[in-house]
Formats: sequence, C-alpha cells, structure tokens
Amino acid sequence: MKKLLSIFLMFFAIVVAQAQKNQNEILATFQSGKYTVFKVDKISYNKYKMVKIKKQWPIQITKSGENVTNVLVKRAGILDENFKPDVPGHPAYFGFSTYRLTFIDNIGIYYTWNGKEQATTKYVFSNSGSLSKSYDELNKLAANYATSVFKNQTTARANVKEQKGAIAEAERKKNSLQNKQVSKIEIKLINTPKKVAHFSEAIKYGVVATLKDGSKVSTENLGGNLPWSDFTLKNKGCSSTIDEVRVDEDAKTLKNDRITIQAISEYHPTLKAIKHINTTNNLPIQVNQSGFWGHERHKYVTVFQGQNGQHAGRGDNLTIKVKTVTHKQTGVKLNKIDIYNTTKKKHVARYKLTTDTKLIINNQGGGGMNGYGGRDSSPNGGNGGSGGAGGNILLIKDPSVTKLNIELNNQGGKGGKGGAPKFSHASRGRSGAKGDNGGVTKQTKSIALNF
Amino acid sequence: MRKQLLLTCALSAALFLGNTTEANAQFGKLLKKVTSKKSSKKSSRSTGSSKSSKSSGASAGTFAYLNSEKDELGITGEYFGLVDTKAFGFRFVKEAEGKVVNQLHYWEKKQEKPQLKMNFKESYNNKKQIKMFFVWTSTGAKSYIEVFEVAPGVLAQTQQTSRSLNKYEESVPLDSKRKVIEVMAKDKADFDTWDIETAQAKVDMMISDLSSLKMAKTKKKLMRFDTYKNYHGKVAFAKGTNYLKSSKANQPVEKAANFITKQELGSTVAFKPYFDMPLSVTHPGSWFNITYEMAGKTTDREALRKTSTKYSRNIPQLDKYKNDFYFYYPKVTINRSNNIADYAFLELLRQTQDNLTQGKTYDLKVTVWAFKDGQNIDPVATGTIQLEYTANTEKLLLDPVKGWITVLEDYLDE
Repeated sequence: MKKLLSIFLMFFAIVVAQAQKNQNEILATFQSGKYTVFKVDKISYNKYKMVKIKKQWPIQITKSGENVTNVLVKRAGILDENFKPDVPGHPAYFGFSTYRLTFIDNIGIYYTWNGKEQATTKYVFSNSGSLSKSYDELNKLAANYATSVFKNQTTARANVKEQKGAIAEAERKKNSLQNKQVSKIEIKLINTPKKVAHFSEAIKYGVVATLKDGSKVSTENLGGNLPWSDFTLKNKGCSSTIDEVRVDEDAKTLKNDRITIQAISEYHPTLKAIKHINTTNNLPIQVNQSGFWGHERHKYVTVFQGQNGQHAGRGDNLTIKVKTVTHKQTGVKLNKIDIYNTTKKKHVARYKLTTDTKLIINNQGGGGMNGYGGRDSSPNGGNGGSGGAGGNILLIKDPSVTKLNIELNNQGGKGGKGGAPKFSHASRGRSGAKGDNGGVTKQTKSIALNF
Repeated sequence: MRKQLLLTCALSAALFLGNTTEANAQFGKLLKKVTSKKSSKKSSRSTGSSKSSKSSGASAGTFAYLNSEKDELGITGEYFGLVDTKAFGFRFVKEAEGKVVNQLHYWEKKQEKPQLKMNFKESYNNKKQIKMFFVWTSTGAKSYIEVFEVAPGVLAQTQQTSRSLNKYEESVPLDSKRKVIEVMAKDKADFDTWDIETAQAKVDMMISDLSSLKMAKTKKKLMRFDTYKNYHGKVAFAKGTNYLKSSKANQPVEKAANFITKQELGSTVAFKPYFDMPLSVTHPGSWFNITYEMAGKTTDREALRKTSTKYSRNIPQLDKYKNDFYFYYPKVTINRSNNIADYAFLELLRQTQDNLTQGKTYDLKVTVWAFKDGQNIDPVATGTIQLEYTANTEKLLLDPVKGWITVLEDYLDE
C-alpha cells in the first residue's frame, strides 16, 4: 500500500512539475517548421470535434537566448500572426489580438480566453500529424496549464512592473522641473469663459515654466510634457483639480468675489504661479426642494401598495435670506442669498448673484400617484393619491436689497387620477385631492450673512 | 361530400407547397448553401448521396460564354465550387437602364435572368480595394448572402448568423462574425491554394483592415464633440447619470457644462471614462478594472472580487464596451436616487472613515485600467474629483440605519 502511495505521489509530483513549466522551457523541444493543423467542427448543439485541415501551416519560433520572443503562425500559409509572450521570461502563453497560443503535451493550442478563466480552442498544431485529445480535453488542458503558470509568474510580473515603473519615472524626471534651474512659473488659461459663476462652465488652464536659459516647458494641455505632479495646487473659490476648475457652488469660499488658481512648485517651493479671475455671478440658478411624488413614496416611508395610489410628499419649508453687497473687485451690486431648509434643518445653498440674475425656487408639493385599474376580484378602480402641499417660504430681505429677481414656485401638487373600472358596471376610483398651495411670508429686516 | 372535401384539401396543399418551392428556388443556390447546410447534411446522411448529386448548379461549360466578357473588376466568368463542385456564372454589371448599378449577377441555371443580383460594397473598394458583394433575400440573419473576392478569379462566400436586416441596401457591420462556407474559382487549380481555411484567413484579414480604418474614421468623427475632444483619456464626473448619457452610438452629446470637479462626500457622483481608442484595439483580450484612491488608501474592483463571495457577487466584471470609445452607461461611486453604489468605493469609504474629518476636502482619483490575467496592465482613463466632507456627510455615511458605510459593514458582518 505504501509503495503504491509513493508511486502515486511521485507521479503526481512529475505531473505538477510538468504542468508548471513555462512556455520558454516547453518550447525548447519545439522547432520551427510546418505543422499539421486541426480545426474545430460543430457536430451538434454544444458538441464539437477536431478535424484535420488539408494544408500544413508554417510556424516560426524566434528566440533570444532561452526566451522565446515571438511565434509567427502563418495562418493558412498566407496570413502572418505574430504571437508575443504574455510575460517575457515566464510566459504562460503567446498572445495575438484576442487569440492565445500555448504549447503543451507536444501540441500547440490556439484558443480564446474569457473572464471566467476558460479556454475555447480554435486550432491545434501538431508536429506528429496526429491528435489524441478531444475538444473538451483541449480546453481543459489549456485552461489548467495557463492558470497554474499564472500563479508562478509573480516574480516575472514584478520585474515587468518594475521596468514599466522605471520607464515612467525616467520620463517624468526628463520632463520635470526637478534638478532644473527655473526662473518662473505661470498659470495660462486655455479658455476664458464669459460667465464665471456658480455652475458655469469649466475654466481650463495649464502651467508654463520658464527655465533659466529662457526656454519654456508646459503641461500636457498646453502642448508640453511637464508633469502635474510637479505642482501643489492651492486654489480658492474653485476646485483644486488639474487641467480645469469650476467655481464653487457654495459662496462661502468666494469671499473676495474671485477665484484664485495657485500652483506651487514641488521642487522650487519659492516659485508660485497665481491667477485671479473675477466672478461675474450672472448665471441663472434653479433650486429644487419639491416634495416627493406619490410613486416615490416607498423610498421615504414603508408603504403597503394596494389599489389606491400613494399620497405625495409636501414641499419643504424654506427660509430665504437676501442681502445686497458690492462686488469686491468690480463694484457691481450683488445679492447674497442664503437658502435654509427648515423642514430638514440643513443649508440648501449660499449664492452670490447680480441683482438681475434670476433665481427660481421650486418647493411645490409632489403629484399624487394614480390609482390602479380594477381587477376581476375588485372591479372598482383604486383612488388616486392626494397631491402634496406646497412648502412655506419665509423670504427675509435686508433693507439693502433694492432689486431681487426671484421666482417662488410653491403650489400644491396635483392629485392622482382614479383608476379605471374593470367592468362597465364597476366604478372609477376617485381622483386624489390637490395639495394646498404653500404660503409666502415676506419680511424686511437687518440681517447678517457670514459669507 | 367527404371525398370532395379531402380532394379540395389535397389540391390546396399541393398548390401551397408548389408556390413555396418556387419562391425558394428563385433565391438560388447561394442562399440554399447558407440556409440549408444543416438540412442538406441531414439528407445526405439519410440517403447516403453526395452533395454534388443534390446540386442545382450546372455542368462545366454552361457559363463558359461569360469567360470572354471583360469588366472593370475582372470578376465576370464561369466559376466552380469547392464544396459544391458544379459550375456557376457571375457577371459584374456596371450600368443598367442608363444608371450606374454596380451589381454582381449570379446564375446557377442557364437563363436570361440571373438568380441573384448582389450589391457592390463600393466603400470597401474605394478605401481598401476590397471587392465585396451582398444581398438580403429576406429579413433573417441567415438570408444574408455575402461574397468576397479573395484573389483574382477566386470568390469566398461567407455566412453570418448574428445580424438580421436593418436596411436592404446595407451590408452587415464589420463586427459581425463571418464564416466562410464556400470557395468558388474560375480555375479549379486555384483550389490547391484556396481551401475554406485559407479563404477564412484572407476574409479575416480584409475585415481586420477595414475595421482599423473604420476605427480611425469613428475617432475623427468623435473629435467633433467637445466632450470627447477634451476628455479622451480622462474620466468626467457629474451629479447624476442623466448628465452623462448619450442615446446614440458614437455621438457623445452630453454637455461638459454639467460636469463637476467637486461634490459633497456621500452624495451621488456619476462618472464616465472616455478612451483614446477602444480597449479591444489598445489591449486585446483585456477587460476593464476600476481603482479608487483617496486619503492614502486604494481599492481595486478586481482585487476585491477575489477576497470574498460577497464582493465577488456584487462587483461584476466590466467586460462591456471593449469595442467602444467610452462607456455608454456611466458608472457611479454612489447614486442616492436609486441607492446603488460601487462596492469598491464603499470599501474605500470603510477603510478611510477614521481619517476623514469634517470641513476638509479629499481628492478621489478614479482610474480605469486595462485588466488581463489578474493584473492591471495600463491605465486607459483617469480623473480626479474633490469630495468635501460637509455637515451632511456624516449622516450620509454613518447614519445608524441607512449610512453607506453602516450598510456595507452590516452586510459584511452578516
């Protein structure tokens, strides 16, 4: 019994060792030349067999030392397909387009690979002229071999990664300001948008550095190769992002009524590039704080859905404070607007808009859900859900406000329609009631807004 | 009475069948080869007769008169089949009734009228000198007939089963999988060189040439769109998926004005990567992977998929859009409108939660990778958005019931 076990273990070890040989080792026994080709032929649904092709195909194996660098398959003798090793030094396969080629058990398997780690054989190359394996066996053989070799590719893959990293680092250093004498850096705008305001289009920019010898280098978006990693961005009033910035939605960061793009050199910390852009504050804005619709009610509360439509949610109550100030750069009159949701107890927005720029506030009630149509078991249509009430708005104006272009929409939501009856003798469901309109209270009193 | 009824039925059936046979017969042998390969195999197995004996083609020399005709493409002549060894006639017709028609007429019987009139794909010839003819005999995928000239005097007939009719005057797209099912040659000696596999290789080569040309053309067209022009190789962000969707293929009409570079942490962030070239061109055999980096931590979708069944189930492989220049349907880190999130991003939030503080802004770097054999090969699009930890963020992330991190931790603890 022990003897049997040891034989089995030895056999297993040999098989494992054999299976884990990489393609360079396996191809040591293969020669360039003409190979007999077997293609896949469909017998019936999901059943395939391997069929010998009349002509032999030439295969050329190119080596550099012990490593195979290329396998040229002259498909049908006319079409050159150059297969390259997946990981030079420890290949599991040779790849060309989506096809893979793996040599094992004295044959070459030409196959495709999918995300489930399965191989699908297309051709098999044999130098003996015969093939003893079935289509399914070939697929399993290629898949098992590839996955077992992948596990042993760790070092080789790490080497490839290291090489790639070294190339990238060399490229970065070549283009970087590191170890270079730089006289100045500047921010250069690629576009100058007409409107610089909350929600306005992006401002695209790059950095240009002038070296001591007078030559200039720039970031990629200005046609150069200067890496963005050379700079720390400390922008104000907008995002600190490379390539493009957008004005902040919250006016609390726009205290000086301008945005500032600031880049500081990583390798020359005394070098700073600063660009100020005044805000124009003239893009109309719409704020939505409406109640939910009847069909969305399940997102907010637990509902049991019968035949009747769901009632909608009411619009949130808002307190809007407005104060007029002067633009700190251009002197234009600006309305500082603070919108607070008293229902949810959270700040909705803080904007700075010119007095002519329109602000639309929507806090209508949601629309009620329609009732369901009658069924055989209950032929009467379901009732429509009620519309939500509009939210109440408290608008507080500072005495400084002389002009405010604001539209307040806080009507009640429509009721849902009653469901249709199933039969003529049954009745249609009642339509839901319209929600009440919200109230608007206006006050004028001195207020302080801290932005 | 009953006898009469039976007779009427029999006559009607005979008339019906007669008409059907006539309708099929006029489609010709080419169509028959496409559609009834299976049935001919079956019948030849059952009867033991050879394919050629069942052929409706003509004997050698029937169309020899065509060999003396010359046309500008050099196609007209008598051809012999490799599988079906009978003779067939082809004539290229440039003009008819005073109009340029560019048709390939096909005969399998000696008649005045051809059995098939195939359309010439002029664009293939103009761009790559590839001579291809096609015809739709009906609307189904199998009723599409296509012939390529693989060498002077040698034609290959292909079959495709994936695309049904869009327009009668349009051929199937290049990405349709074509299989050569017959080779026809003027000179039988050419069959020594041109068997089915050789013709298949040549057709594949021609399709590959045309595809790369089409890819370059598509890219040129995409550069007309501001979004693609300014964002290829980058990831664009928006407050919702609706701002990033484009309904038509290769028409990214979404407005860059709706893109964002800053958002509240815990709120909806949708993103869409735009690629220099499709993944199938730059990294054949790869699929996509996405990594998220923030506050010194990185999470990787593919790496997470390998860690547990829960992640494996909830992070699907990104193997769509490999032939596209961008994701048609954008991805999300978090989408509050339908409570969907990328588990890899949630995992990043879970790992970084102790390092995040209110009032601070964090850069989230999203990298879309070409992924193959368990490795990220190369980045194909990257983008950074700033996420602001606001007063509302804590509720969004750590609400004891609905917080994103809470939900994830509860799920992982189940």
